Amino acid sequence: MTKTIAVTGGKGGVGKSTIAILFANQLVKEGKRVILADCDVECPNDYLLLGQKLKETIKKVYAQFPKLIKKKCKKCGLCAKTCRSNAIFQAPGEYPVFIKDLCSACGACWIVCPYGAISPKKEETGKIFVNKIKDNFQLITGLAKAGLEETGPVVTKVKDFALDFAKKNKADYVLFDTAPGIHCPVVSALIDCDLSFCVTEPTPMGAADLSLILDLCQKLKVPAKVILNQADLGDKRKISPIAKRYKIKIEKEIPYSRELVEAYSQGKLLNFYL
Amino acid sequence: MSGKKTKLVVASGKGGVGKSMLTSALVMLFAKEKKVVAVDCDADAPNLAIWLGGIRKWDKNIPVIASARPEIDYKKCDGCGLCAEKCNFSAIKMVHPVKSVKSGVEQFNRVKGKPKVNPFLCEGCGACEAICPKGAIKLKPVQNGEIKSAIRRLAERKKNYKFHLVSGQLFPGETGSGKVVDKIKAEADKFDYDLMLIDSAPGTGCPVTAALRDANFVILVTEPTLSGFSDFKRVLEVVNYFKISWGVVINKWDINPKLSKKIENFAQKKFLGKISYDQGIFKAVSNLTPVLETNLKVKNEIKNIFKSLQKWLGR
Repeated sequence: MTKTIAVTGGKGGVGKSTIAILFANQLVKEGKRVILADCDVECPNDYLLLGQKLKETIKKVYAQFPKLIKKKCKKCGLCAKTCRSNAIFQAPGEYPVFIKDLCSACGACWIVCPYGAISPKKEETGKIFVNKIKDNFQLITGLAKAGLEETGPVVTKVKDFALDFAKKNKADYVLFDTAPGIHCPVVSALIDCDLSFCVTEPTPMGAADLSLILDLCQKLKVPAKVILNQADLGDKRKISPIAKRYKIKIEKEIPYSRELVEAYSQGKLLNFYL
Repeated sequence: MSGKKTKLVVASGKGGVGKSMLTSALVMLFAKEKKVVAVDCDADAPNLAIWLGGIRKWDKNIPVIASARPEIDYKKCDGCGLCAEKCNFSAIKMVHPVKSVKSGVEQFNRVKGKPKVNPFLCEGCGACEAICPKGAIKLKPVQNGEIKSAIRRLAERKKNYKFHLVSGQLFPGETGSGKVVDKIKAEADKFDYDLMLIDSAPGTGCPVTAALRDANFVILVTEPTLSGFSDFKRVLEVVNYFKISWGVVINKWDINPKLSKKIENFAQKKFLGKISYDQGIFKAVSNLTPVLETNLKVKNEIKNIFKSLQKWLGR
């Protein structure tokens, strides 16, 4: 059975990608087959940290956006009324205007249109790449179109691709490196995972955001473990009460390392282990 | 720029590069000469208040109801499955309860049956409500977050000054991060201000576009790492799409001076300044001491960035 582990953290820049890569390296060293899926589709970085380039797209991700067929439109206004993203604007007596920046590609408008005047138009919303790092270590990268409103569905597609890829390659582990924050793209990455590593730092911000992500994990019923990065900076007494509140222990403390920071900065994390 | 309300956003793409730290310091500097409202638009993980020394008591607490969830009337539902088929967020699955032979506990068999909504994936878009031929689905409004505001009073060399702080929180497990950001900004807009300083979420998705949408100027914070540079260019695509003028600040520039120089060259005239890496910041923020109230070197570096910004704002 493939084990699925998400590496997340709430706060940005706490070392999610670094921990995900170090953990992957460690598992590969132990002889496991590992797939690392970068699910931070807005700003994927794992490939850079492993000294890779994104070359050939393995798979494209699409969503359907509304397109107006003016000939059929009777300007009834139902589409604008239905749209909960405020992405359809209609001045009285005019044709509706679709504001792409706000559109979540949900499809409610063409479902509701009584005249069949809105047709779904398939558009690319993201790309998936595969890089072979080592024999037993493959990297999957999801990349959303910049400025795309709803990136959660792209994450779901990247995840499905990674799980399928894992099955074909008989992988022991799939690691999902998530975006910062707690909204849709993070939820999509976390959902149904066997375990999550919640990375944090010993600052009040790290503590506040850890409590949010642990709350989310609890709601999603994903068991969580805490990893305290740069443990010797700041004040780690901020973190233990949060972990305690969620009855989770701090799995690992990683001290600050100038060497690691430099390797990170240059994209040379391949020879570091957790 | 007297009489004109200016909106200045601090964004970055990559998280943890120093957006909130820089915003907090700029808020304190600008508040001495302008009517400032500071806005934390990272509703996922809001940290601006911490960088400003923490807020013990908020003046206002406003619920945000900017999401909705379908409620299914199973008496009307005939299990046609159209809602599940049309949900673009994979939030509806057709399930039907079967008794497990072993445990006798109800389990779900995902073959066909009745629709079940996964609230964590649901965007509250209403496509299911629109498609249901039996009228069995109704969308119900959901509180997905809250907004808080406070007045922060500061004193320096016997001179008193103040600013407003508006912050918000998306509740864990709820959707609609961008919509919460819209509400936070609308609340902030109610104050009388010359300058609105907005701390954006990382990334390029809905909370970021919501923060950027009507901005006059964007400060893009980055760090000299391959990921910092790459994410900066990603968010720049969005900034350029909205046609907003921008400037760059390089934080922790000395962890890779060579790459820092490269970013500086890339930015050319848009380069606003750089800040050194200083572990003292960790200690300061852990004690809830705002950066400007420390004796760290970064304090003067930020003051120089402030001067460049003043020039841009035309004072």
